[in-house]
Amino acid sequence: MIAAALHGFSAATPSPAPIPGAGLFTASYLLSICIWIPAVVALVIAVIPNPRGRYDTVIRQVAFFTNLLLMFVMFIAYNQFESFLPNVQYEEKIPWLPQIGAIYHLGVDGPSMVLLILSGLIGIIAVLASAGVRERVRSYFALLLLAQTCVTGAVASHDLFVLTLFWAAAIIPIALLILGWGGPRREAAAWRLTGYWGVGVAALLLAVMAIYAGSGGTSFDMDVALKSALAPRTQVIVALALIVAAATRLPLFPFHGWVRDVYAEAPIGVIVLIAGSATRLGAYVLMRVLVAAEPDGARVLSPLIAGIAVVTVIYAAVAAMRTADIRHAGGYLALVPGAITVFGLAALTPLGIAGAVLSLFTGGMAAALIAGAFHTVSDRAQTRAVAVLSGLAPRMPKLAWLTVLAALGVLGVPLMATFTSNEMTFFGAFKTQPVGAFGIALGLALVAISLAVLLQRVMFGRPNPDAPAVSDTSLSETWYLALLAGALLWVGIVPGGPKIPGTDVPLFDPGIMNVMVADIPEIAAPYTGTTTP
Amino acid sequence: MRALTFLPEVIVVAGAAIVLLNARFRPAFHRRMRTRLPWFVAAILLVALGVELWAGATVGSYYNGGLVQDRFALFAKASALLATAIAVAAADWPVEDSLSFSLAMPMLAAFGVMVTASAGDFIGVWAGIEVTAAAGLAMLALRRPDQAMRLLLAGGAAGALLLGGLAYVYATAGTADLLEMRRMLTGVAPTLPLTIPVALAFGSIAFRASLSPLQVSGGAFAPPASPLSTSLVTGLSAAAALVAAVKITAALGPVGPVFGTFLEVVAVVTMIGGGAAALAVRAPRARIGFLAAAQSGWVLAGLSTHYHAGTGSAVFLLGALTIAATAGPAVMGALGASEATMAGLGTLRPHRAVALSLCLLSLAGAPPLAGFFGEFAVASALAGAGRFELLAAGLLGGILSVTAAVGTIRLLYLYNPIEESRRAGIVLPVWSRFSAGAAVLLAVVIPAYSLFANPILGLAFQSAEGLGLR
Repeated sequence: MIAAALHGFSAATPSPAPIPGAGLFTASYLLSICIWIPAVVALVIAVIPNPRGRYDTVIRQVAFFTNLLLMFVMFIAYNQFESFLPNVQYEEKIPWLPQIGAIYHLGVDGPSMVLLILSGLIGIIAVLASAGVRERVRSYFALLLLAQTCVTGAVASHDLFVLTLFWAAAIIPIALLILGWGGPRREAAAWRLTGYWGVGVAALLLAVMAIYAGSGGTSFDMDVALKSALAPRTQVIVALALIVAAATRLPLFPFHGWVRDVYAEAPIGVIVLIAGSATRLGAYVLMRVLVAAEPDGARVLSPLIAGIAVVTVIYAAVAAMRTADIRHAGGYLALVPGAITVFGLAALTPLGIAGAVLSLFTGGMAAALIAGAFHTVSDRAQTRAVAVLSGLAPRMPKLAWLTVLAALGVLGVPLMATFTSNEMTFFGAFKTQPVGAFGIALGLALVAISLAVLLQRVMFGRPNPDAPAVSDTSLSETWYLALLAGALLWVGIVPGGPKIPGTDVPLFDPGIMNVMVADIPEIAAPYTGTTTP
Repeated sequence: MRALTFLPEVIVVAGAAIVLLNARFRPAFHRRMRTRLPWFVAAILLVALGVELWAGATVGSYYNGGLVQDRFALFAKASALLATAIAVAAADWPVEDSLSFSLAMPMLAAFGVMVTASAGDFIGVWAGIEVTAAAGLAMLALRRPDQAMRLLLAGGAAGALLLGGLAYVYATAGTADLLEMRRMLTGVAPTLPLTIPVALAFGSIAFRASLSPLQVSGGAFAPPASPLSTSLVTGLSAAAALVAAVKITAALGPVGPVFGTFLEVVAVVTMIGGGAAALAVRAPRARIGFLAAAQSGWVLAGLSTHYHAGTGSAVFLLGALTIAATAGPAVMGALGASEATMAGLGTLRPHRAVALSLCLLSLAGAPPLAGFFGEFAVASALAGAGRFELLAAGLLGGILSVTAAVGTIRLLYLYNPIEESRRAGIVLPVWSRFSAGAAVLLAVVIPAYSLFANPILGLAFQSAEGLGLR
């Protein structure tokens, strides 16, 4: 599998494969549908009367089935995505602000398609994880759907104005969700998130404006603004701003200040959304704007990016080992997949970049799974103190299994999708960032120790007779954790998608690995010395 | 059509006069019509807006250049009329002091903005600002005579400085005509003697726009002032001052260095200071005032670029600012006095809560509302002009502003309403179909401003070109 991946990304020449049912469904505004349906449903949910919570269940169902419908639409897009074409697909182009050169330009290539699917899956899982919300259900699900709109919009945008708009807009619903439904320290968590992400938005805007000015000040369209060659010095400035933007969102050391509080205090559905998809936008912007468009800046600062990634992994491992709060541990460990994604980007090789793209998906799943699992453990055990939690596995067997799978997902063991992405990242980075690769390996070893210690203490140690009563996961908790774990296993086992036996024809899933390759050679072209048509 | 160009001004002044005279000479009729008068005034303002949009497209010069009708005038007048109509319709009338006075003064303030926007020379600009400020002061004096007196003295001094500064420019250029001035000042060296009076003039404009010093007019945000008087001071007075700033910067373009640095400093101080002050204060009404001040800083930053993209973007933002800053305090009603009383407004008065949230977010520059579009357009103009230091200051102010806005919105939706007994005598804003409809209209206008940003920004760019900027 890895050998195939190595071969595929050293000379990626995907070829069309017939997919049963391809071309059955076409829509001119497919991406707009994916973006705006949650917003419209959120608006409807927000205005319908709900006296004394009479329609709480209906609202939950509406949110769930909306996400299911969206996932269906996205899956069609994913299935019909032509991975042998390097250009942007499902394109929509409507003039918006021609005076300043902003266009409502949407479109997806391989990496964005992967993130789009991630966003859809996380949407369903976040609603399932929110089944326990009892207060102000209408507002909660309206805000959750709005947050999802922002994430999907940022992924599908192909104009820097639209990207900035959705990227910045995500802060408000997420901050309100934490403020309204978070734990006792929700205020601190929400303001920290707002502050850090606000700095990230400012940094992104500065970078976007520098690119806009440097490209002649005529267009924010990525096809124009990102294709013009900026002066090397400007590229370095843009790169620095983008690193700050990505580091606040993903997050990376030293801009991780919001992680501990947010992952500890936010409601579980919001944690899944943040860890799973909203934070992945940080690495996505780094890839889309810096690596793909500013090669000089990326080359100069790639050691810095790799260094930040290494420090983040080591810091996360040590902090998770030292913390006395299991939710904090989950938050710290959720930093690891993002750091590996960024490390793959710092490699500036086709394989490293491909690993980073796959890691966007697998890392999102793994981060959401570990943060969600530890949060659920603390909920079910009625305490967050690691010192009190002990010997839970016999009393919560389902959750114990899912937590172990979460730990394996973060570590990237074989059969887990993170294994494939981690290996691609390492192999891709070893030549260009050898010290960083050793650093990441060391960090992962520390993460393994940290996870082993935590799991031994919490799950498999001697039961604590003084601990509060413990219960296993509810149906919705089992489903949301199992879906995350299942997605990691599915992509880990069949990254190329299942085939009709005896043929090369994909069964129903063309495979993340096949879809994501589109455009990666083009992104990597400045670093390989090749040009793509 | 040409004869109808200034019909909106006539309608607005006549409406104000009818309301005042009716209360004075036909008190019984006035009392009988008490509940319907706000409808009447809002309808007058909307009719004036309709006439303005229909007849105002005719570009021309009147009274020997004393008044002009160009795209900028059309844009500024339409914004002011729409903002005033919504504010009057959405106001919480039981907490206003004098119905007739509180209805007439907003119309006069809107008239002042219209005069400033149509002014062809310095005298018109000055007169428009003073009319708007006088209307605001008169409203403020109903409940806060002490504050009004302080503002009157400070505002009088500012008015005198503005007049003095403009007189010096007139003496230098040899004309008071704004379009002619660009031609006359071409080739004139930007000297220190010219810089000082121009700086004084812009200082007084900044004062009128509640920019600097913020604390002087900050009293108008304070609880004892009526909500509608806050609307006039933070919204229409500021709009008149900023409209004057747009016209004067366009006229003085050839000698840009004489005011450029000053404008940039004021913009930086206002963007960051306004955002920080909005975060620091607790009362929602004061917060909305400081958010408006912070957004005014963005307008000035756009003007400091001296070219049509910057000015066009600033004009676009000015329209959004005028609507949100004028209608926001009115929608808030007396509840803006303290943070605690706003808790749970989303449940108790959902229409007002939605409109207020959108106003706050737009003033903070949060996406995807009108303020964000305006600030983004200004930011792109700043980037185009290489003014990244201004952009960075604006972004810092923006973070502070959004944080402040979210702080108030969480009160509206995420807190349970407090008991009546703990409201300290502050009653909930009145609920009627009329006021709810106005709040809904405001909640539609602010997103619509961003939805139709393309034609509106196009008009704003035409405005800048109409002012002689290319």
